[in-house]
Amino acid sequence: MSNIRIIRIHNELLGTYGDQGNAEVLAFRAKFHGIAATITDVTYEQSIPRNGNIYLLGGAEDSAQLLSLEALRRENNLQEAIADGAVLLAVCAGFQIIGQSFWANGAKVEGLGLLDVESNPGGKKRCVGEVKARCSILNLELNGFENHSGTTTLGSSAQAFAKVSSGYGNGDGKSDGAVLGNVFGTYMHGPILARNPQLADLLLTRATARPFSQIEDPLASSYASIARKY
Amino acid sequence: MRLNFSLRIAALAGFLSKKILRRSGETIPGKVLLTLYPKALIALSKNRKIVLVSGTNGKTSTTRALAQLISQCGTTVTNNSGSNLDRGSATTLMKSSEYAVLEVDELYLPRLIAETTPCAVVLLNLSRDQLHRMHEVKKVAQRWKNAVDTAPDTIFIGDVDDPFIAFALSDAQKKICVSFGGRHHSDGAVCPGCGKYLQWNSSGFSCACGLTNAKAEVNRNPGSAAYRNAELANIAGAQMGAPEIIFDTKNLERAVEKKISGISSSIRLVKNPASWSEALAGLKSANVVLILNAREVDGIDTSWLWDVSFEALRGKKVVVCGERAIDMAYRLHVAGINSVLEKNSASAFSHFASTDKVEVLAAYTAFFGLVAS
Repeated sequence: MSNIRIIRIHNELLGTYGDQGNAEVLAFRAKFHGIAATITDVTYEQSIPRNGNIYLLGGAEDSAQLLSLEALRRENNLQEAIADGAVLLAVCAGFQIIGQSFWANGAKVEGLGLLDVESNPGGKKRCVGEVKARCSILNLELNGFENHSGTTTLGSSAQAFAKVSSGYGNGDGKSDGAVLGNVFGTYMHGPILARNPQLADLLLTRATARPFSQIEDPLASSYASIARKY
Repeated sequence: MRLNFSLRIAALAGFLSKKILRRSGETIPGKVLLTLYPKALIALSKNRKIVLVSGTNGKTSTTRALAQLISQCGTTVTNNSGSNLDRGSATTLMKSSEYAVLEVDELYLPRLIAETTPCAVVLLNLSRDQLHRMHEVKKVAQRWKNAVDTAPDTIFIGDVDDPFIAFALSDAQKKICVSFGGRHHSDGAVCPGCGKYLQWNSSGFSCACGLTNAKAEVNRNPGSAAYRNAELANIAGAQMGAPEIIFDTKNLERAVEKKISGISSSIRLVKNPASWSEALAGLKSANVVLILNAREVDGIDTSWLWDVSFEALRGKKVVVCGERAIDMAYRLHVAGINSVLEKNSASAFSHFASTDKVEVLAAYTAFFGLVAS
């Protein structure tokens, strides 16, 4: 592959919690590994390109989340690209959007159904703080910052993205996110890929279907090891 | 417990806190007072003309400007140190005066409006800040709107180029909506009123539901945040009968000139994407120190660093320090901007010569640490 196309979906709506940084980290690490990468921002009013390799959804407030879903429903480009093997990382509100259903502005809404999860309004206590969770795909404890009021339950065909060791994750303090093939959902901000470069490399490997050099970016490594202690 | 008795205990607590704990004494008395006499804010506001100032950025400098204006009318007390929760306000109101000008934290504004029945309230702006505490910008705006709608005797002065302020004021009984010609808002993609995709152009926003900055009562020229805050202070001051003051907007920026390690430094407080963007746009020196902490008042989540464009730093000599310096260094690294990572401000300044002029952008706790040292 000569160029990795990263599609940052609805950043003006889903950019409230810093998740736009995931796109920048992916492009940066791709270039570090010798692969060209481009970031394409797609707004609410634009059509989502069919030819992306990695798609990104971020965290948002309720009304923005609903607008993003409305725009995603206008076409099937994202779903078709994923069916063809493209990678999707969806964080927080984005994770809820790609599930079976979620709640926003006091009403239950049907999601895109890419992951077999349901999100519901949480209790009075909002899930806010550092979260640490072990990802079995990477055999690594990931870390990030969560800030959500909804809770998510996994359906029978869903697999947790990571097993929570501290924090709330999906709300039960046991699992965080969900994963199915190349579709990843999580509650972790940070942005997650800035604090966990190994996950960024996993997404790039999945998108390019080839292994990367083992050369490491020293600053990324030291940030990752320091962030593990936050 | 009676108010007078509670006031005496609170004053004693403040005295002891200053003498023994060497604290500033701005929080403890109010905290003690509100514990002993929960309705103290209501009682202490009676027979006093009160003006409140709130917003994500610019509260302290606007409050200072407004206190200067109002003190032309009569004796005025103010919480000019930035102690802006309910207890800071209570401490301030323990001193008798004809007027009070209070800076109020965004989440405490509804309580202060309800309990102090202010003559006027200035609403500056709302944008993402300390999201671990504020959670969602829209929710803060909704709380403000609820408070505004139930205060029919208060006049609200707000910058409606900010859609959240326009929303908070949309049903106010008495208001002065001020527009500075419209400007981009990085959290303004969604209409806070109806949830539709907000339509923007060079002169601001308008929504099918009617929310717009185009119907302001007062229109002023565009300008810096400090200039806008000075204008809003004067408009509010005029409502209270204060003659206009021409402010030097440079003095309204929360910047402190100081020699650090013998080097001339200009230290500016930055705490969220909006204030970072404003400060970065105003950089003049080729030498910059960035100090990032992530304590409670700084915001304990640094994800927002990725919402800020640091392009203004390209080509400058940048040294990064603070408790979360690595978060900043990595963010700059990914943006392709070189920086030097240092442990603390002393070692950061060792990279500069005594003839250099250095601009320091410091997180909340770092700013006060540097200014006090």
